[in-house]
Amino acid sequence: MTATMQPKSEAAEAPRRGRGFPGADQKARPRGRGLQFGHWWWALPGIALVIAIHYVATGIGGFFAFTNWTGIGSFKIVGWQNFEAIFKDPTKLGALLNTLFLAFGSVFLGSVGGLIIALGLNRVLKTRYILRTLFFMPVVLSPLATAYIWKYIFDFDGPINVFLTSIGAGDLAKPWLADPQWAIWTVLVVLVWSSTGFAMVIFMAGLAGVPVEVEEAAAIDGANLWQRFRNVTLPAIRPAIAIATTLGIVQGLRVFDPIMALTSGGPAGATETLATQVYKQAFALGNFGGGAALALVLAVIILFFAVLQQRLTRSNPED
Amino acid sequence: MTQHRRYSGLKVGALAVPTIAALVLTGCSASTSSNSSSGGSQEFSLSFATSNTIESPFQVLAENYMKSNPNVKITFNPQPNDSYDQTLRTQLQAGNASDVVVTAPGSGTGRSILPLVQAGFLEPLDDAAKKLVPTGSEALFGTDGKVYGQAPEITVVGMVANETAAKAAGISAFPSDFSSLAEQCKTLESSGKSFFALAGSAAPNTGLMAMSLAASRVYAEDPKWNEKRTAKETTFAGSDGWKASLEAVTKLNDAGCFQKGAAGAGFDAITKGLASGTSVAGFIPGPSWKQLKSAAADSDFDVRGLPAEQGSDKGFVFASANYAFSINAASKNKDAAKAFLDWAAQPEQTKAFAEIDGALPVSGLDSYDFNGGAYKNVGDLIKGAKYGPLPNSQWPNSAVYDALATGVQGLITGQKTADQVLQAMDTAWDQ
Repeated sequence: MTATMQPKSEAAEAPRRGRGFPGADQKARPRGRGLQFGHWWWALPGIALVIAIHYVATGIGGFFAFTNWTGIGSFKIVGWQNFEAIFKDPTKLGALLNTLFLAFGSVFLGSVGGLIIALGLNRVLKTRYILRTLFFMPVVLSPLATAYIWKYIFDFDGPINVFLTSIGAGDLAKPWLADPQWAIWTVLVVLVWSSTGFAMVIFMAGLAGVPVEVEEAAAIDGANLWQRFRNVTLPAIRPAIAIATTLGIVQGLRVFDPIMALTSGGPAGATETLATQVYKQAFALGNFGGGAALALVLAVIILFFAVLQQRLTRSNPED
Repeated sequence: MTQHRRYSGLKVGALAVPTIAALVLTGCSASTSSNSSSGGSQEFSLSFATSNTIESPFQVLAENYMKSNPNVKITFNPQPNDSYDQTLRTQLQAGNASDVVVTAPGSGTGRSILPLVQAGFLEPLDDAAKKLVPTGSEALFGTDGKVYGQAPEITVVGMVANETAAKAAGISAFPSDFSSLAEQCKTLESSGKSFFALAGSAAPNTGLMAMSLAASRVYAEDPKWNEKRTAKETTFAGSDGWKASLEAVTKLNDAGCFQKGAAGAGFDAITKGLASGTSVAGFIPGPSWKQLKSAAADSDFDVRGLPAEQGSDKGFVFASANYAFSINAASKNKDAAKAFLDWAAQPEQTKAFAEIDGALPVSGLDSYDFNGGAYKNVGDLIKGAKYGPLPNSQWPNSAVYDALATGVQGLITGQKTADQVLQAMDTAWDQ
């Protein structure tokens, strides 16, 4: 695309203005026969597939949100009935609150943790390359596979309870993933663990763009460590913060597989999220219409927070 | 090559890509029956659910059929049990399901016969299948006098007990009523064992436990309770029997009947607990005794009914055909599929299937010798007709069972009360 735009903006303009680069004195070739690397219709196959797979499929799914389809056989259009049922059902409202808690909790803790690690591993430390790899590893590993490892760790017979018992704190041992108070926090721990490395990488990319000279100048001017971070580093990595938090929120709102592997939404719905409810309603309970309505609500929520977050963290207000 | 020719080639390529992609996608969704031979095909496919590495009894039976009929080729399509319902429905809707599919009688699950019949996905079966429908379960196998599922066995659902572990734990006589059961639980708990191994995080297990508790409290008193609920003559929340059943869950929990950490345990806890003898019994389908025996050959496993509140004279178990063979209405190999089902309906085959799976035979139950086998403790209940079909097979949708199963987990963790669970079940029933 860059190559396609280049002739129009600079390469094509420059010869007409005769600002002397090789060949500038030659007769200008007719428009369209010069350095042209692509046609718009080349993108047609991709556009067609994207429309068919993403937009048409999503549109059809959205249509079923207004039906009572069970996944098989015929259906009737029921208007907004599925949406009314969602907002009257305490389980679904609980799932909405859990979704928001896990999304914002994991983004906040993951971003803070990622920033601290990125700052620590930015310069100086000799082992920083090994440590970066270790901290990034959870992002590369399969969320489902690691969730099962975490499930073992939090199991009643798992290492945490074995450790607690071994130090004489056996009374604190509990089935962490089946405890109504603790289950949601254990899920949050797993999500933060898996998202911190991702935030760290984005912040490290941002920190690489902060000139050392500016930091040195601030230090010479008498700024202490916190002041340098607050007034120099943080404003400079604002775009990185915007990207890390936006992607984190989108990822957090739609999180599914770790929760299914860890708790399946239990105990008794304590860790249910909108994504797990979409799956259960549509595929496990044969309420495809209700599941589609829930998916639509989830999509709207993700869109809302992604746009809001982008507006709040954009560096240039005129963007 | 000139520039013009190159662009023309690219244009053709640009148009060809989506065309080829569409053709490939169409090919992917083509029916699996495409390998059928014309004119009395002897090939067909079979779908069934699997939940462990042990060879499925459905597959063993089909392999026996191929051995006795060398001209027949059966393609097996095993699916994980937890996604079987979804896969089956999607394939039936898409028209590419197997020729023979394993379904469940009634309407309470995703693989249940009645909603699949309503959607026009199943083929009516002949008299051979009709004769195997257990008495009183006719309404679960079809509508308008037609039968759409062929029962392969009778599954008893109560509890499976490790008799060897029970004796080792000092249980000389199995508890005959609920209060003595609670006493046994306390004794076992003090010795670091548990009476029951429960998979508290697995909805199928918590639901099965609640239904087993409801056997003597609801269905022994009123076997037609589900029909009354359908006619709106009663509700779960208004049923004393159902309330007592769920309160019994709390009593069992308070008496220490479940292993430590039961609320978060999975099915592996049952296998581990019963095979190692740290737990005495589990709420699992009767045929599981055979799989447990293969894991712990030194132990003896028996199928038992759960002790009733008032004593053994009020005992009741669930014994019914919980699975069925059905033929896909869109199958192109119906003749071959029907020939297989006719063969499977023969008394010697139903007997063989029951032996393979560790269940009771669907035909000849009246003359079945219960003595000495794993079912000896439920023989009197079966012969005395103190049994009925699994309740959820008659419930209108799977959401009712889900409300019960997740609710029971909530009872164990203290998140919910019996009344809340029963109200949720009523809401799910009426949706």
